Amino acid sequence: MSTNISSKNTMKATDHHNRNTDSFTNTLVNIVDLPQLQQLNFENLSAKYALTRLFTHLLMTLLIIIIAFIFQHFSLLPFPKDVHHNIFIGILILSALSLLLSIYLWFSDHHKHYALREQDLSYASGLIFKKIVTQPILRIQHIELKRGPIERKVGLASLQVFSAGGALHTFEISGLTLAIAESIRQYILQHKDMTLSKKNIVESSQSESNND
Amino acid sequence: MIEQTNLEKTSSEQISLGETISEQTISEQTISEKTISEQTWQRISPIALVYFAINVIKNLLGNFVYFIPALIAGYSHIKENPTLWLPIFLIVLALLIIGIFLSFYFFQYRLNKEHIEIRSGVFAKKHLNLPFTRIQNIKLEQPIYYRPFNTICMVLDTAGSIKQEAKIVALDIDFAEHLKAQILTSNQNQSTIKKDTATSNSQINIAEEKILNQRSLSDLIIHGLSNNRVWIFLGGLAPFFDNIARAVGNGLTSIGINTDQLFSIADKSWWQISLYALSLTFLIFLPITLFSVFGSILSFYNYTLSKMDDKYIRRSGLLTKHEVTMKLSRLQMVIRQQDWLDILLKRINLKFEQNQSTGQNFQAGAYNSKIIVPSITEKECQALINDVYPHNNLTKIKFIAISKRYLLRYLAYMLLPCYLFISTIALYNSKWLAFTWLTIVFTLIAFLIVMRWYRWGYAMDEHYIYVRKGALGVDYLCFERFKVQQTKFKQSIFLRRHQLCKIQLILASGTVNIPYMKEKSGYQLINECLYQVEKTHRSWM
Repeated sequence: MSTNISSKNTMKATDHHNRNTDSFTNTLVNIVDLPQLQQLNFENLSAKYALTRLFTHLLMTLLIIIIAFIFQHFSLLPFPKDVHHNIFIGILILSALSLLLSIYLWFSDHHKHYALREQDLSYASGLIFKKIVTQPILRIQHIELKRGPIERKVGLASLQVFSAGGALHTFEISGLTLAIAESIRQYILQHKDMTLSKKNIVESSQSESNND
Repeated sequence: MIEQTNLEKTSSEQISLGETISEQTISEQTISEKTISEQTWQRISPIALVYFAINVIKNLLGNFVYFIPALIAGYSHIKENPTLWLPIFLIVLALLIIGIFLSFYFFQYRLNKEHIEIRSGVFAKKHLNLPFTRIQNIKLEQPIYYRPFNTICMVLDTAGSIKQEAKIVALDIDFAEHLKAQILTSNQNQSTIKKDTATSNSQINIAEEKILNQRSLSDLIIHGLSNNRVWIFLGGLAPFFDNIARAVGNGLTSIGINTDQLFSIADKSWWQISLYALSLTFLIFLPITLFSVFGSILSFYNYTLSKMDDKYIRRSGLLTKHEVTMKLSRLQMVIRQQDWLDILLKRINLKFEQNQSTGQNFQAGAYNSKIIVPSITEKECQALINDVYPHNNLTKIKFIAISKRYLLRYLAYMLLPCYLFISTIALYNSKWLAFTWLTIVFTLIAFLIVMRWYRWGYAMDEHYIYVRKGALGVDYLCFERFKVQQTKFKQSIFLRRHQLCKIQLILASGTVNIPYMKEKSGYQLINECLYQVEKTHRSWM
């Protein structure tokens, strides 16, 4: 009994000690010395990204216009003629708006940047509404590389990073070249903070496979 | 309808069935105590049959809406051909009962080297293997029909999705407590030094539970008054709304009140109408409040919050007893919540927020996984906050207000133009009544916006970040910097011109927003949070 109690005490003491060492750093650090988010050197996305997006967007708009023309020409929809005509006009207006949107997309895509620091990953975006999302590597739960058919064709990749913040706050950088995306992924996986949690991921995947 | 009543009958039959078996459970318990190390597959206590049956009934009721048209359409046909339909009903019923028995029969669990394995499912077999160390959260639920048989339902949460949640439907209480202690110690061992289980088991027995807070019935009544928990009932009553409305209408007619006559307001003077309106709102609010009070008692009856080592345990419930255990390290954020009615009554709801990403569904079950202390006084509240966050300065700290441009944007740029536009139309058409209503609504919304601006503030000290927000009520959030999962810095062109920004700090329990703060302090806050996360390497769990 007595040994148990004493061991418990020492445990508490070490716990207390840990806490102290953890919290003392807050007070001593000068705020100016902190790594500054506003001084980040952001890198551009792949030049292909904006082009690809513009191209696919224009292609889709064009496709819709062509389909609308076909439907209009052969009156394929079971509506009276004037209704049909109005729908056609509506679709054309929407397509025109979509073309305008492509200009916006072109410029906003050039305002997307990312930055990889030693300890975290940042992504800046937005033309009118600027946004900088920062994800500490320590808090990353898992990483995914996603490549759709078009991305595969042009050699791009999207990097998705998941944290415990929930699915709504998935950190995503799209428009990286495959080589860069893979090297970032590798960097994160080999990061010393991840090695511990990586073990957990391996363990969980094992237990999941056991489930099946 | 026939089906439903029949089902209820069967559930009561099964209760009596469970009673006859109850002697067996005791002998089974001693067996399970012995075989904990022998790694054999165990069945759960037979009372689980009732649990499965009630689940089936719940599902049927939930889907009852879809059967209604079919029943109405076929009602006369059913009535005329009982010889055809009665056997069908009986067969369906028999199938359901067999299904319940089978799902009980196939539900097995086993303990194996600090792992728990659960096999379940009749057609779709499920096999869950869960190491003790990955269990995040242990919840114990005891529905009222479990109580005589000394059994309990154990829910084990993992960090993963809700699908990975393990539920051992019926366990003997003593065994469940034993298992809980074992899981908790194995968690502890992982975080500190590996010890053999024998010593850590005895440690758990030494550590005694300290009761931090208890809620009396009057507290719960206050809680019910100030916090509407009607939805608990609405959820349960949803299938019966139409019937209730009809019954109320019929009841009123039978005591001589004709609803049609009552609501034809053309021939009434204004004071009569206002009196009617007043009494009608009263009539509506009275049952709502009563329901709300009853709902509060239902979920928080016999509330105790206790502490054992670094674990906080919440127990409550009138019909179904819930027990939630939270380790202090799992705590993400403390929220001190006061609605306007709470402010008048000088009561506070305190919430200890845990990882939220597991419980994506906002149902009563998920609601129960967080620790909320309902309607406590200011003193009790501060004592509890001091207990979890010993260094906090929530009472003393000075909050920094957000910029007045918040008002400019929402009042001057958004609300006012809308108001002016609509009111000029109203005035142009000389619709004076509409104009007065518009003005009233406008002032109300404007007041709310001003209050929201007035409430919104943030503060930092060397340990915590504090955020104050609300409109009529006040919420205080308090959390440690290293719990942050992700940061977002947002700035529109207009905000940049005035060197303002919005920031979002994403925690595992949810997102904290601070709008219209100074750009410099926004960057500083984010830099500090990131620094704390990356420098201290402390786990958020």
